[in-house]
Amino acid sequence: MANEIKYMALTESQIKVMQHQNCCAENWADVTVAENFNASNIVNSTFLGKVQIGSVDGKVPGAHGLAKPCGIYNATISNCTIGNGSRIANIGVHLANYNIGDNVAIGNIGTMHTNPGATFGNGVEVDVVNEAGGREVMIFDQLDVQMAYVMCLHRYRPKVINNLKAIVKEYTESKRSDRGTVGNGSIVYSVSDIIDINIGSCAVISGASSLFNGTILSEKDAPTLVGSAVIARNFIIAESSSVTSGAVLAHCFVGQGCQMGKQYSAENCLFFANCEAFHGEGCSAFCGPYSVTHHKSTLLIAALFSFYNAGSGSNQSNHMYKLGPVHEGKVLRGTKTGSFSYLMWPCRIGPFSVVLGKHSSTFDTADYPFSHLAARPDGKCSMVPGLHLTTVGTVRDGAKWPKRDRRKGSVKRDIISFDVFSPYTVGQMIRASASLKALSAATDKSVDEVSVGGAIVKRLILRTGQKYYKSGIHMYLLEKVVEKAEAALKNGTAVANFFATSGDAVFSEEWVDVGGQLMPQQRLIDLHNAIESGSVASVEAFAAATQKVADAYGDDEWAWAKNAYKAVFDVDLDNATQKEVAEIAQTYLKVKSKFLKLVVIDAEKEFAELSQCGFGLDGLQKDIADDFEGVRGTYEGNAFVKDMNATIADLKTRIEAFVETLSNA
Amino acid sequence: MSDVAERIIKVTSETLKVDPGRIKDEMRFVEDLGAESIQSVELVAAFEEEFDIEMDEEAALEVKTVGKAISFITKMLEAEG
Repeated sequence: MANEIKYMALTESQIKVMQHQNCCAENWADVTVAENFNASNIVNSTFLGKVQIGSVDGKVPGAHGLAKPCGIYNATISNCTIGNGSRIANIGVHLANYNIGDNVAIGNIGTMHTNPGATFGNGVEVDVVNEAGGREVMIFDQLDVQMAYVMCLHRYRPKVINNLKAIVKEYTESKRSDRGTVGNGSIVYSVSDIIDINIGSCAVISGASSLFNGTILSEKDAPTLVGSAVIARNFIIAESSSVTSGAVLAHCFVGQGCQMGKQYSAENCLFFANCEAFHGEGCSAFCGPYSVTHHKSTLLIAALFSFYNAGSGSNQSNHMYKLGPVHEGKVLRGTKTGSFSYLMWPCRIGPFSVVLGKHSSTFDTADYPFSHLAARPDGKCSMVPGLHLTTVGTVRDGAKWPKRDRRKGSVKRDIISFDVFSPYTVGQMIRASASLKALSAATDKSVDEVSVGGAIVKRLILRTGQKYYKSGIHMYLLEKVVEKAEAALKNGTAVANFFATSGDAVFSEEWVDVGGQLMPQQRLIDLHNAIESGSVASVEAFAAATQKVADAYGDDEWAWAKNAYKAVFDVDLDNATQKEVAEIAQTYLKVKSKFLKLVVIDAEKEFAELSQCGFGLDGLQKDIADDFEGVRGTYEGNAFVKDMNATIADLKTRIEAFVETLSNA
Repeated sequence: MSDVAERIIKVTSETLKVDPGRIKDEMRFVEDLGAESIQSVELVAAFEEEFDIEMDEEAALEVKTVGKAISFITKMLEAEG
């Protein structure tokens, strides 16, 4: 490490060697070097101010992995500390005010410079959710999605916001420095300007156009790539991310494991864990974990997203303003917007919904998860509540997210609850079901359609929506009960104590999704209170507090599920007998199997005659099926279908074994 | 034509906006009568209301032609007495 090297004055002979190689210094006494310093590897360079240089023997991997000799070649270096085994070559203007680690390769740079008092992107305010401000988030290099979410969205707790901002300000001051850093093992080459940038270890900055006021977090196990033609100003890019191929960022936070490029441009945007953004544009978008936009003409503007998939040409706006734009889009987790869909903010979309068409009226379907929201010709939203509960896409998404966590390295800052079915969504389904039931009872049969949160629902569908939600609610609650009983039985717990709740569990009827972390509303209130009172007063304390909530997820979830089970089935689990537990397990087997079968049937549609449209081009009628099979395979042979069928079979085996063991307990 | 068949054709015609005279037993709701996925959902809901029944989702998805709908609902009504 550069700061562990004992630097000493140059010897006369070393100075002579360097001068012979066209080097000069403002004052050679200010140039200090490591022991056994090899002056022959310093060529055609100028030293200004205090410069410390480590060992320059050997080679270091540089651009495209090609190892080149360590040393300093064709460079003007001002007030820098350079570690062992590094190479600095071909600096057009200068390299100034940097601490450079060991085994670093820096080459073909225009200017690399740190201004006095630089904060490296820490403390930059990013205007999200409303383009004109009011929900600004102060970014810093340890920001997690939970803190950003609270800072952005909980303006009804002004003291919380002020205290969080104070935490960030204090952190920013701790990062303020006259010197930037480049961590060990990083490679920086072919960049025009690098001004006020901190670079972590093992990062690769390759061919970027211009980087100003930012931090590129990186570590050995989670290296970060900033690639060609990238322009970034006032930003943080976190570990294991890649920002490449002409991406343009201004006032942006790019979290861990993100991928961004192909000329994506973003201004005032936050992207948290595992987001992907290509081709399109982001403006004041709060992209929670797993927000994905891959296509041109796609604009994510002034809204909250998470686990989101933007179809090509997805767009949103609010042109109805008089006093300035108020956007306030809230696209809750797991939603997809179809190609060329348009949403008029303010609007709130329930979790795991699918949005199609051009919606020119605002609506709020937050409490109607898994819904199908299609725009009618008059621009109004037509909703089928709960339609996507059993669609293949929902099930596949739920399975794929945990598998696609690209975050590597020592710390995963964003806390992510992956569960599709949870007290959050099932609670919404319970409320939605009750609302639909009441609306159904109150609506005369002569009425064709009703308004639900501004969305239009056909009267006939009110009953269908209840049916969908009922299946989801029952499946989840039965599953939780069976899981609890299985665990208790395994631990040798008596049936009477199977369903005990933890004394530390927190119960709230309503759960919230805090930037991808699910928790009882009371936990959030407790967190607010802790921030407000000052008991959570640092970045570390905030992370510890949300981690504690995450650790309690299982207990909190069970407290909720047990309560909901009683409300839905009118059964007090504390009094359940062995026989009743076995019956619950059998019911669960039936309900879950049916649910999975519906998913499999949904998958079958993709192999139906209409799905074969366009196949067998230029062939005979019989070639259509063969061509389709050659490309898409067969329904029976499809990996997802096989997996679902295997899951159904495994479930049967599991429940039968449980019931058998229970009967012998 | 049975009362059930007449009512099924009426509901199908109204929901899918097709001429009732065009609807035949062997016709498939999706491929022949153009029922999109949402219309299929509406069709099941309309059958349920018309006959005051609750169709099992899994079984309903297997009802792919007008004729099968007639026999399926007829059996349901007979079972309910």
